[in-house]
Amino acid sequence: MIVAELKPLQEIADSVAQYGKVDVVACGGCVSVCLTGGLKSAEELRRELSHPKYYMGRPPLFQVQSIQRQCEKDFVRSYFTPSPGTGAVLSMACGAGVQTLAEAFNKLPVIPAMNTTFLGSLDGPGLWTEKCHGCGNCVLGLTGGICPVARCAKRLLNGPCGGSSEGKCEVGGHLNCAWHLIIERLKSLGRLEDYDRLFPVKDWSVDKAGGPRSLGRLRPSY
Amino acid sequence: MKKPVSFFVVNEKCNGCLSCVENCPSNALAWKDEAHTRTILHNMARCVRCANCWRICPQKAIEFQYFLENEWVEVNTLELLRCQICGEPVCTAALKETVKERMGVAELDAFCPKHKGFSFAARKAYPVKSKMGAKEGGKI
Repeated sequence: MIVAELKPLQEIADSVAQYGKVDVVACGGCVSVCLTGGLKSAEELRRELSHPKYYMGRPPLFQVQSIQRQCEKDFVRSYFTPSPGTGAVLSMACGAGVQTLAEAFNKLPVIPAMNTTFLGSLDGPGLWTEKCHGCGNCVLGLTGGICPVARCAKRLLNGPCGGSSEGKCEVGGHLNCAWHLIIERLKSLGRLEDYDRLFPVKDWSVDKAGGPRSLGRLRPSY
Repeated sequence: MKKPVSFFVVNEKCNGCLSCVENCPSNALAWKDEAHTRTILHNMARCVRCANCWRICPQKAIEFQYFLENEWVEVNTLELLRCQICGEPVCTAALKETVKERMGVAELDAFCPKHKGFSFAARKAYPVKSKMGAKEGGKI
């Protein structure tokens, strides 16, 4: 699940203040599920942003719309129509959705209302936690299903650093040491020999270092 | 078109507290109060299946399993054409009409990939097994 959180309200208000009419567009995908960018959140944002305290002059007029997945260009073009007279679109989708809207409507400014943060899972009521970095070369099969790339602050691949203490990471008291979790998990699986296996130098070219990645039959060959 | 069955099922434990309505991130749940009844409404087009209603319901009244495992819903039934030689399904009659129109031909007959190379003479030599009793002619 792609997790995104709302930007500070003043920052959003500053970015839309110059427009007379703004469409707040919710996304019915990941951001709805993580309870930040769905239709209900869009209506809450419209109410908040309509308050004059955020503006030097008159607040823009906001209208709320929703589309199931903002990250699919043909879908957006077919089923999303900006309101008449709208000056800008305030997107509540992740960065992929914002860019898709911008590509689909190249004469309409598209402004992000969210900060896209991570790929995560639901760990408790309303609590999403980062679990995947999208590194392009999954090692979970050797680490007991716990990702050292996403969950170790240093992305170490061959055991914990010296900052691991009583299962916690030196970065902050609340953070579990990913390698402590991995070792405990491998113990319980009876596969501690996997811990002795040395990871080769990781190929970061399949991560973001190799440029924007793509998937599909029509992807460009590099 | 047949009417789809409801995937959002609420059991008899529901006491109408509206927790699900208040906590739906997509505004896919609503309610209406009429005379002496309260009705909970669900909007399938808005629902993103996040299961927040199921998590939040204090009565455990939402049967979310119907979203996860349900019977297939018949959405359309069309006339099917079968191979005139062996009777294997080939395509629908509507698709045949579309192909005819796109190809600009007057007539096409249905043959499966195995038999579409059969010559007219060979087709005459073999008895037609099609249950649909389609006429001979071109190939699809």
